[in-house]
Amino acid sequence: MAEATTTTDSADSRPDAGDERLAHRGPIQQLLTRPEIGALIGAVGVWLLFWLVSAPFGTAGGTANYLDVAATLGLMAVPVALLMIGGEFDLSSGSMTGATAVIVVLLSSDTAELGGAGLSLHLAVPLSLAFALAIGWFNGTLVDKTSLPSFIVTLGTFFILIGAKLGFTKLFTNRVIAEGLDRSGGYEFWDNIFGATWIRNGHVWDDRDWAWGGLLIIGAVVLVLGTMELAYARREHPNVGGYLVSAIGTAAGAIGFILLLEQDGKSSNWIFGIITGAGVLVAVAGWCLARYQRAEREPAQSEHGPRVVRYLIAGLLGIALAIVVAVIIDSENSDRLDFLTGTPGRTVLALGIGATGVLAVLAALGRVSVGYPAIGAALAIIPAISYMVTVQGARAILFGVLAIMGLVLLSLAANRRGLAVAFTLLTSVGIVVLAFFIQSEADSRKLRVELFTALLLIALLLAASAVARLIAARRTSATPAPTPGPLSKIGAMIGLVAGLAFAIIELAQGDGILYGIITGVVKGGIAAFAVYAIDVVCRTLFTSDDSVGRSLVFVGLGSVMLGIAAKLMFITSEELAATRAETRFGVGVMLFLTFAVLGAWILARTQFGNWIFAVGGNKDASRSVGVPAARTKTTLFMLVSASAWITGMVIAFRLNSVQANVGDGNEFRYIIVAVVGGCLLTGGYGSAIGAAIGAVIWGMITSGIGFATWNSDWRFLVLGALLLVAVLVNNYVRSQAEKVR
Amino acid sequence: MAEFLELNNISKFYGNIIALTGVTTTVNPGEVTCVLGDNGAGKSTFIKILAGVHQHDEGTLLMEGEEVRFNSPREALARGIATVYQDLAMVPLMSVWRNFFLGAEPKTGMWPFRQIDIEGAKRIAKEEMAKMGIDIRDVEQNVGTLSGGERQSVAIARASYFGARVLILDEPTSALGVKQSGVVLRRIVEARDQGLAVIFITHNPNHAYPVGDRFVILNRGVSMGNWAKEELSQSDLTQLMAGGAELEALQHELAQAGT
Repeated sequence: MAEATTTTDSADSRPDAGDERLAHRGPIQQLLTRPEIGALIGAVGVWLLFWLVSAPFGTAGGTANYLDVAATLGLMAVPVALLMIGGEFDLSSGSMTGATAVIVVLLSSDTAELGGAGLSLHLAVPLSLAFALAIGWFNGTLVDKTSLPSFIVTLGTFFILIGAKLGFTKLFTNRVIAEGLDRSGGYEFWDNIFGATWIRNGHVWDDRDWAWGGLLIIGAVVLVLGTMELAYARREHPNVGGYLVSAIGTAAGAIGFILLLEQDGKSSNWIFGIITGAGVLVAVAGWCLARYQRAEREPAQSEHGPRVVRYLIAGLLGIALAIVVAVIIDSENSDRLDFLTGTPGRTVLALGIGATGVLAVLAALGRVSVGYPAIGAALAIIPAISYMVTVQGARAILFGVLAIMGLVLLSLAANRRGLAVAFTLLTSVGIVVLAFFIQSEADSRKLRVELFTALLLIALLLAASAVARLIAARRTSATPAPTPGPLSKIGAMIGLVAGLAFAIIELAQGDGILYGIITGVVKGGIAAFAVYAIDVVCRTLFTSDDSVGRSLVFVGLGSVMLGIAAKLMFITSEELAATRAETRFGVGVMLFLTFAVLGAWILARTQFGNWIFAVGGNKDASRSVGVPAARTKTTLFMLVSASAWITGMVIAFRLNSVQANVGDGNEFRYIIVAVVGGCLLTGGYGSAIGAAIGAVIWGMITSGIGFATWNSDWRFLVLGALLLVAVLVNNYVRSQAEKVR
Repeated sequence: MAEFLELNNISKFYGNIIALTGVTTTVNPGEVTCVLGDNGAGKSTFIKILAGVHQHDEGTLLMEGEEVRFNSPREALARGIATVYQDLAMVPLMSVWRNFFLGAEPKTGMWPFRQIDIEGAKRIAKEEMAKMGIDIRDVEQNVGTLSGGERQSVAIARASYFGARVLILDEPTSALGVKQSGVVLRRIVEARDQGLAVIFITHNPNHAYPVGDRFVILNRGVSMGNWAKEELSQSDLTQLMAGGAELEALQHELAQAGT
């Protein structure tokens, strides 16, 4: 019945605006013209295949296994893809990864015993980077000056590197392996960077999780609906297709939830968790699609914009600050690094923290530009990293930095577009996801867990008040910016009292003065800030005449905060004691994911990305309109060799010894992976995300065959078939993309 | 009154080869100066001197009464001389708006997050092309999907948006069909009406005569002269272009052969 009405209804919902020559293209059709679509479909297929035939493949351990393979490949495949889009190849990229590793080991290992140069790693590591960059610059310059095909030029450097690696290794060590990295000076410092691992703990699921998880989901759903109500107009005739989508989402969510309860395997928990979450998301999205349409309002180019960004950034810097504090505390009884210990390090750190705090407050007040606190934060974070890096600390910083980057980007984007609300909401959702993540990380001390959760609360409140302001800006551009009212003063007092109370409680529990003070300050600050944020939200929305939307937002926000608060208050000591390390993700995986995201951003959004496409697509044309083609290409070559350096370091610090032939021949894998990901061999077309997905496919196949206990001889058959299929799909996609629309 | 762009006896030699000699003409805002000539007549050398790719060896090039010499395409661009090459104008696998702003992308955001202002770029590209009377279907479509005439139009709109004062069009109609050529000729008129000085390079007198205000004819590197439109009829132009006497002789021969 519902399906019958859908067909008649969808004809009406075709947009009548725009050019009549433009046929309506649905989101699926648009997606099908993306270069990475072939790889994406392939990845899902390969994953399903191995998930069906092998039990351990889907577990966190299995994931870590294939992601690790994918990471060493993908770290290179992403920059190689950029270079290919720029119209060039680098055949020396594979042996370059090994070359940097060999250089570091040879330079640093002991002279008498192992035949190395005995340098400190603080010298050897930067030297190998300089070497990599020099070769990259050489490749790029030679290709540019001689106009020879890069295939030939880099084939030359490829053989030179292979020969040099083998020759020098044998010359110095009399063997084909260079080893002894772990006995070099400064090893601990660099091992904490390139050899770092991220341990994921098993989560002890208990009854409380239902309560706070449920609250979070309900809160998020209601928040979305409320925002739609406020920022969008209701459709006169509900879109039945949207209801259908919503129903499918609900069904999927319900099935996922039932399976989540039924199955209790470790691998299935998170899979069904994700299915449930996705189901809820689809259900909400479908509902919004059915009920709401974009309101016909002038997108108010309000003067609140910069203020909102300022507000967000100031808050985020607060988070950064607290992370640094957390790291300091955390490092006190962890195995930390002996670098910059003593007064100088602490002084710089203290100055940085102080400067960030002061500047963040000034920025929030609008006295200085938002750029200044960023400088302060850098001052604080850099010594903090060098001084305190522990496994937990590094992880904490990574989380913090990623979260901040994401939030800042989102808020900037939100500020640029009229669609601010959706972006800010996404931010909140991201924070909630992050909360879950950190929750499963609870292997460290109570304080850090509490701090993190508390910080998330701050971020959420910030996002909420930003939403409120943006809604106000959208609705009436004449509305004055809300100012803190008397409630904020009360909030400050509540915060003070609460902070003191928390401090006393902690002291009474015998956790030490420092612990008490910091807990008090942070928790008190949160209490004060919560009241302030709610006050701002109230005042802003009070000008709105839409009582339904207003109350929905209130309820949604309230439940989310309550959920997090519940979580915050009841961290049990059993939970903290649960430190069963299950899975280790190497730092390579993090870097790989970062590279993929960065590469995609550079390609799609930056000027440099535009230039990459241009020099690969038509070098002469781009040069004639003023694109520095030579510089662009040389930069790309250097980018590839710098990534080869990072990969080389990850390889070297994983085993602490390097075979002379490591990495040789990998350059073709990088190119294959990039092609699977949709890059055109002739340049000018492709995707960084596609290359990353290609690397994951490669990883899944190579380790999946092992998990499935198949004979590994079949590996190349599968890979070859995959390559062919991917190229065919990409060919089709590209012809679609080139079609006259 | 000083002419906007004045060429006096411009010559160019490649070693002992005389590529171009004695070219004299003027270019003014709101006018179209046509440069006609057959293959090998020196048209591309002429363009390259004005576009800054090559430098002239003799003669003077005056811009607003001041002697100039362009050492690179960037210098010529900076003085407002934009060249639309017949085949080198666009990157086919990139979208219309990305091509429109290529090399001069509008940017937004604070430094490490500095990125292209995509919304603004799309809007401006669409507006600018509408101003030139180009009705583009979708600025997101790849340039490769456009027809030849549309591509030239996009290139002309781009040049005029980026502050070109002199627009050099290199054989914009040669690869196009009759209808498409008409479209491009209309763009030339529109660019002229917006106050640009247009230099229109072609070997087709039928395209040059309707839009041109001034004609320079090149033959084997030698300038045959420089005429204003009043001094010349369309058939004169055709005759001069084909080397006058030679074409007459050919016509004569053909006529005889026919009888």
